[in-house]
Amino acid sequence: MIVVDAVVKSFGKHREIKAVDGASFHADDGRITGLLGPNGAGKTTLLRMLATLIPPDAGQAMVDGLDVAADRYAVRRQIGVLSDARGLYGRLTARENVHYYGRLHGVSGAALKARAEGLLARLGMAELADRRTQGFSQGERMKVAIARALVHDPATVLLDEPTNGLDIMSTRGLRELLRGLRAGGKCILVWTGVMQEVAALCDSIVILGHGRVVAQGSGRDMLSWSGQATLEDAFVTLLGSGEGLAA
Amino acid sequence: MSALLRVFTVVAKELLDTFRDRRTMLLTLVTAATAGPLFLALILNMAANQAEKARALKLPVSGPEYAPALIAFLERQQVTIQTPPADYEARIRAGDVDIVLEIDPKFEADVAAGKAGTVRLVYDHSRDRARAAIDQAESVLRAYSRQWGTQRLVLRGIVPEVARPLNVENVDLATPQQSGSLILFLVAYYGLFASVMGGMASALDATAGERERGSLEPLLATPLSPLQLMLGKWLAVTVFDVLVVLLTLSGFYLTLNFAPLPAIGIPFLFGPIELGRFVLILAPLNALLPAILLYVGLRGRSLREAQANISVLLFIVSMLPVLQLFLQQKEPAWILWVPISGQYTLLSRALRGDAIAAIDWVQSAAAPLALTVLALLAAARLVSRESVLASR
Repeated sequence: MIVVDAVVKSFGKHREIKAVDGASFHADDGRITGLLGPNGAGKTTLLRMLATLIPPDAGQAMVDGLDVAADRYAVRRQIGVLSDARGLYGRLTARENVHYYGRLHGVSGAALKARAEGLLARLGMAELADRRTQGFSQGERMKVAIARALVHDPATVLLDEPTNGLDIMSTRGLRELLRGLRAGGKCILVWTGVMQEVAALCDSIVILGHGRVVAQGSGRDMLSWSGQATLEDAFVTLLGSGEGLAA
Repeated sequence: MSALLRVFTVVAKELLDTFRDRRTMLLTLVTAATAGPLFLALILNMAANQAEKARALKLPVSGPEYAPALIAFLERQQVTIQTPPADYEARIRAGDVDIVLEIDPKFEADVAAGKAGTVRLVYDHSRDRARAAIDQAESVLRAYSRQWGTQRLVLRGIVPEVARPLNVENVDLATPQQSGSLILFLVAYYGLFASVMGGMASALDATAGERERGSLEPLLATPLSPLQLMLGKWLAVTVFDVLVVLLTLSGFYLTLNFAPLPAIGIPFLFGPIELGRFVLILAPLNALLPAILLYVGLRGRSLREAQANISVLLFIVSMLPVLQLFLQQKEPAWILWVPISGQYTLLSRALRGDAIAAIDWVQSAAAPLALTVLALLAAARLVSRESVLASR
């Protein structure tokens, strides 16, 4: 369960660039929540705050009742993160990359092996598992990065554009995987710019514009609030042309 | 306990990563193992050539007919008289000829008139190679002058000591180990250098490389704390650094003890005891330099930027011993406290066979070890700063 409450984050020498400007939303367990927003809406900053990498200037963000600033290390044990930066170690094999993160999360031995094999197999990477990742395609890298983020079976999953570079089959495979996690009661937050993704996968949608939450609700809610027929049109209408509407 | 486990997870991964980079690793290790021996063979051969030259002075003389007595004296002193080439000044400048003795055409006339006869030694002082020949020629000419003067005094019934009230006796206390200071310098210098070069590639890859690759951010979202991360990386780089230093020193040890080197008598001992002392003396640097490399590497947004920053460090490390070499006076006592200079001083002592007290080692290790802790803490602080993420 993620609760973001009036979170503010600014950058620059005099904190003049407001990346996130009082955003509030929540993501429930057993649901897939999609975060939508144009470039510069503050998506990456929000992810970094939830991943405990940077603290909010004001407001509060909680993961399973733990504050992302005060209980940083406790939060890190709960979350699996696929951020925009998803570099792999090119000289290590796919399996070694995944194992490294498993061990850092305290998973080891037979449990680690089983977990890594399972994830790599479900992502269609079983045959490539023993190859060094430096020759991998963008999609293959993505799959290793996803397996790495999920290797410790986190209760909360934060995924930034997880279908980038994936082919159709892999995308379907990933959706299946995420639905499986949802069925297991995990809290899943997906950053995405792809409308189809939102429609196919998300139970709840959060629309972000200029560092604020413009709307949160189901896809049907979005259509009825905006009076539009498609999610894409609803997205454009809800964001508006100027400052956007506050939810 | 789990913290320790995480640190060792990082160590294991970094070492695996380093050893998988076969080309860089092999290049580093092979360079470390072979550079010492190659370089020693070269230096010692040069030294042997010089010794050869010094033993038999070949002196081109221009105008030997003007001072036949001098020529006869030189020949009695085992000097081989040669005819110089016509353009010898140019040849000396070019470095083809080391030295030429010119005898003034008015030599006999001057001597007959009761004046001093003039001879000129022509050489290029800036050529190290010529130094031995210059010294030898000067001393043999001085000997001739002294002998001639003595004969004149005796002829006039004066005891030669009247004109030579001071009798200088040279007592050289240098043991065979203490001479050959240039070779000594080079061995110590190379040992120092290996400690910097050894950890460089892996330290940069573990920091600037990690940033450039975009693998630092996900790493920081794991339960690993910045300090655990830096400790793990530091241990891994240090292990590799020590390996490189051991290889380098072993190369020297094997060459000096078992290789058929030119028989000039190696001017110092480098046996198992010296090898062990070297390793101990360099140990504080094996801790410090990887820590500094990690810190500097972390400041670089890319490998390229980090490499530029590292070159400053390399410059400092390579300059300190050179400064000491040219500083002609005896080192002040506080030099032991200075990182790198302290190690260099102790390395020279070890090579000269001087005793090294435990307190000397403690003094030389104090600053490097303290700085290691500081550098690691600073690196851990840096890694948890937002600016490290907002880099690409």
